[in-house]
Amino acid sequence: MTGDRPLALVLAEMVLLVLLGPLVTGAIQKMKARLQCRQGAAVLQPYRDLVKLFRKGTVQADTASGFFWLVPVLVLAATVAAGALVPVVRMGPPAFPLGDALMLLGLLSLARFLTAVGALDAGGAFGGMGASREMTVAPLVEPVLMMVVFSTAVVAGTTELGALAGRRGTSWLLMWNAADFLGFAAMLVLLPAETGRIPVDNPDTHLELTMLHEGMLLEHSGPGLGCMLLASHTRQIVTLGLVSALFFPAGPAGGTETAGLLLGASAFAAKIFVLAVYLALVESSYAKLRLFRVPQYLGVGFVCALVALALRIL
Amino acid sequence: MDLGSGPNLIAACYGAGALSCLLARWSGRLALGVGHLAALAGAVAGLVVSLGLLLSPSGRTLIQPLPVLFPFARLSLAIDGLSAYFLLVISLVAVAAAVYGPAYLRTHSPGAGPARQAAQVFALNVFLGSMALVCCAGDALTFLLSWEGMTLASYVLVVSDDRDGEHARAGLLYMVMAHGGTALLLVAFLALTEQAGAFDFAALRIAAGGLDDATRTTLFFLALGGFAAKAGVVPLHVWLPRAHPAAPSHVSALMSGVMLKVAIYGMLRFGFDLLAPVAGPLPGSWGWTVLFVGTTSAVLGVLYALQQHDLKRLLAFHSVENIGIILIGIGLAMMLWRREAASESLATVALTAALLHTVNHAAFKGLLFLGAGSVLCRTHIRNIEELGGLARRMPWTAGLFLLGAVAISALPPLNGFVSEWLTFQVLLGGASRVHGPEGLGIVFSAAMLALTGGLAAACFVKAFGVTFLGRPRSPNAEHATEVPPSMIAGMAWLGAVCVALGVAPGYAMRLLDAPTTGLLGGAGASAVVTARGPLVLSTALTPSGTEGTAISMTIVAALFLGVAAMAFVLRHGLRHSPMRTAPTWTCGMSPTARFDYTATAFAKPLRLVFEALYHPRREVIRETAGTPYVVSRIHYSGEIVDLAETQIYHRVEREISAIAQTIRARSTGRIYGYIGFVLGTLFVALLLLGLVYG
Repeated sequence: MTGDRPLALVLAEMVLLVLLGPLVTGAIQKMKARLQCRQGAAVLQPYRDLVKLFRKGTVQADTASGFFWLVPVLVLAATVAAGALVPVVRMGPPAFPLGDALMLLGLLSLARFLTAVGALDAGGAFGGMGASREMTVAPLVEPVLMMVVFSTAVVAGTTELGALAGRRGTSWLLMWNAADFLGFAAMLVLLPAETGRIPVDNPDTHLELTMLHEGMLLEHSGPGLGCMLLASHTRQIVTLGLVSALFFPAGPAGGTETAGLLLGASAFAAKIFVLAVYLALVESSYAKLRLFRVPQYLGVGFVCALVALALRIL
Repeated sequence: MDLGSGPNLIAACYGAGALSCLLARWSGRLALGVGHLAALAGAVAGLVVSLGLLLSPSGRTLIQPLPVLFPFARLSLAIDGLSAYFLLVISLVAVAAAVYGPAYLRTHSPGAGPARQAAQVFALNVFLGSMALVCCAGDALTFLLSWEGMTLASYVLVVSDDRDGEHARAGLLYMVMAHGGTALLLVAFLALTEQAGAFDFAALRIAAGGLDDATRTTLFFLALGGFAAKAGVVPLHVWLPRAHPAAPSHVSALMSGVMLKVAIYGMLRFGFDLLAPVAGPLPGSWGWTVLFVGTTSAVLGVLYALQQHDLKRLLAFHSVENIGIILIGIGLAMMLWRREAASESLATVALTAALLHTVNHAAFKGLLFLGAGSVLCRTHIRNIEELGGLARRMPWTAGLFLLGAVAISALPPLNGFVSEWLTFQVLLGGASRVHGPEGLGIVFSAAMLALTGGLAAACFVKAFGVTFLGRPRSPNAEHATEVPPSMIAGMAWLGAVCVALGVAPGYAMRLLDAPTTGLLGGAGASAVVTARGPLVLSTALTPSGTEGTAISMTIVAALFLGVAAMAFVLRHGLRHSPMRTAPTWTCGMSPTARFDYTATAFAKPLRLVFEALYHPRREVIRETAGTPYVVSRIHYSGEIVDLAETQIYHRVEREISAIAQTIRARSTGRIYGYIGFVLGTLFVALLLLGLVYG
């Protein structure tokens, strides 16, 4: 089988995702600030933070093992590798098989697993608290996410994201039925959980009562923290890319002409922007849920996803 | 090489190992060395024989007559693809156990007398030999005899380690459950041999062809019950988390990693071979039952594992989970096999997933048990709350344990992910082919499998983090040192298997050809799953068989490593900056080990989320000094219950006690009274027999 996306294109898309990741975070922060009638930091602020962190020295906890130093490397690698599995500028299967949606979720889980292990390494209560909460929410999110993926994969007959998007085609948007709406609703419920935002997590706080993901980063510093932050920016854009590949597979599915690639890139940017606006709106209009309310919140997503899948296969 | 002499060689090695231990029981050191060396030789011979059979193009069955022990039956070995595959799984872990064993037994219990050590190694050799025999048995009698040998040898090992009451109780429970299972197997086998008039499997196969559906299904469920008791399927799992941790750690690795698989072998042998109808699909109830109990075991196994703080017990509960995952694959294969022409290849993928998870689980669970054993022999502590900080003291053990933890959590790029990926693909394919409520059941099973994976990851963050990271919470953990190289070598061997099966699973598919073709007919695993070359795993999901999903573990692993190399450079920073160490931030107080998150605290949110399944009980006693505002001491205790235990076993126990009390009133203590009872029972039995056959 000759695929539509040569390996060079896949790698270029991966790099593009990594480079654009902080921009999405910056844009969401800016939108949130404007919605709260503040001026807010510049859109490019996450880049400045990263550059600053990569130029700093490191302070490491004296109880941490040698493994602690490697955690940011592996977390970043797993997240970025997941980025290679998302179709960005062009739909269709890659020229050589890489991985499918399950592999993407697996790599993101690997990153989460290693982050949580790193959080326990320093031996403070905050890291453990963050890791415990993150590993409580993650197992509840994963089945729902998997069912949303399955509800679209059953139609397309594949879980490979590029092929899935390519097979459904752009015109498919006009033929949405109940199952698609329900699946998308489930995805909207999951999106804040998977990107670590309100109402499940709060990325802006270091208060021990509210944080999940940030609590795990407390002991990282300097370039290590930079890697972890870059990984969470990348994770966010990869998740948004997953949603757009599953539900808005717009973009050309072949050809090498520059115009097609540009069209695909701008379509991708538009989709990501819409989803970013959604995240900013949700973050500005809801309060963070208590941790033990989160399962009920995710239960809504589970029911939506189950009904979507049931409608597909019954 | 002529493989015909292979079985003799394996038997000779294990036999010589067992015998030499008995002879060398005056010197523990000698017995340990010779016994384990013989076990290693047997395992290597097993590897060679099984690989030779699996890779031979003809896919032949090796038949080897055994010496005549009974006048009424000819005993024989018949090694076909399925047998050879399970022999391979046994031998893989046995190699690690034999390398790891001597140093472990020497350092873990230095006070043990030579007689006890010799007995342990003797039992180990008998255990390994009888497991190999069960998988290679060519007739019912050999199967049952070696099955019993396996149970007895493992019982000896379970009770051998310490002389406290807990191990004896665990052993007793194990014996009761194992023999309950054997009784069911005995009934199933005897019904078949009665029909066939012979004991060998070929005759049983022919006899089973003439059975009607109801008898066939009854026999299958009898056998399933028997094997499920051995495999630790919920709700028959209660013995497993007690017995497995009680054995020496390398035996725990064998019991969890391999002995449970022997039961899986039995299920496959009965379900797809001995009892399968000559033509047409298997009865629908088989696949459904197996899928249902598999899903239940997977979810409940991991949920209970999550709340365990004894490292080996936690791992034992994870075996319940992984057996469940294997059963999901087997159940799907039963459901899809011969159902329609289009789903033939999907049934093959399902069986491939189950068999691959069998060897994967053997590798990573073996590795994790050996890692736990290393911790145990250096600290003599099994409760992870009292460990901590071991990664700095035992870096090799910690690294290898982490490898196993990533593999068992089904995370790429290691082997656990590969078999779960295949299982998910079959679940998805099965759901899109089996429409209606049954399809919904499959989908629900898929969601539960995803939940299992997430919970397993949470559990191993806890197990690894609390055991190896942070500060040591006891003097034993504080003064731990790395284990000897031979123990590290045993773990590293299994770690290498995990990496190899994760990064290049396509090459292992050739080994699955003989068992899949042998059981299901049609194309083998490699033709279906690695149709696009050994680097690519692919499955076709749609009934039309158009292009499905393809992934390449190798390329993703390479990509991961490449990105990691770049991230490594980035991690060093843009300019050379100093690195200094400082105490962990604990809000200005001086940090102590009490600040570390404990395992109980780590698992608490999930304990509350799944409260309905745990029925957690907690008790907090505060001692105050004068006023209620000054707490001088807090005593906390908490526990969760195993629903199967409280809802089923305790009730049964109460009933049995009540009946026993009633009978006690009739028991006079006089011998002729009892003889009267025996005669009465015999009379009733003969009467019933006469009524049935008369």
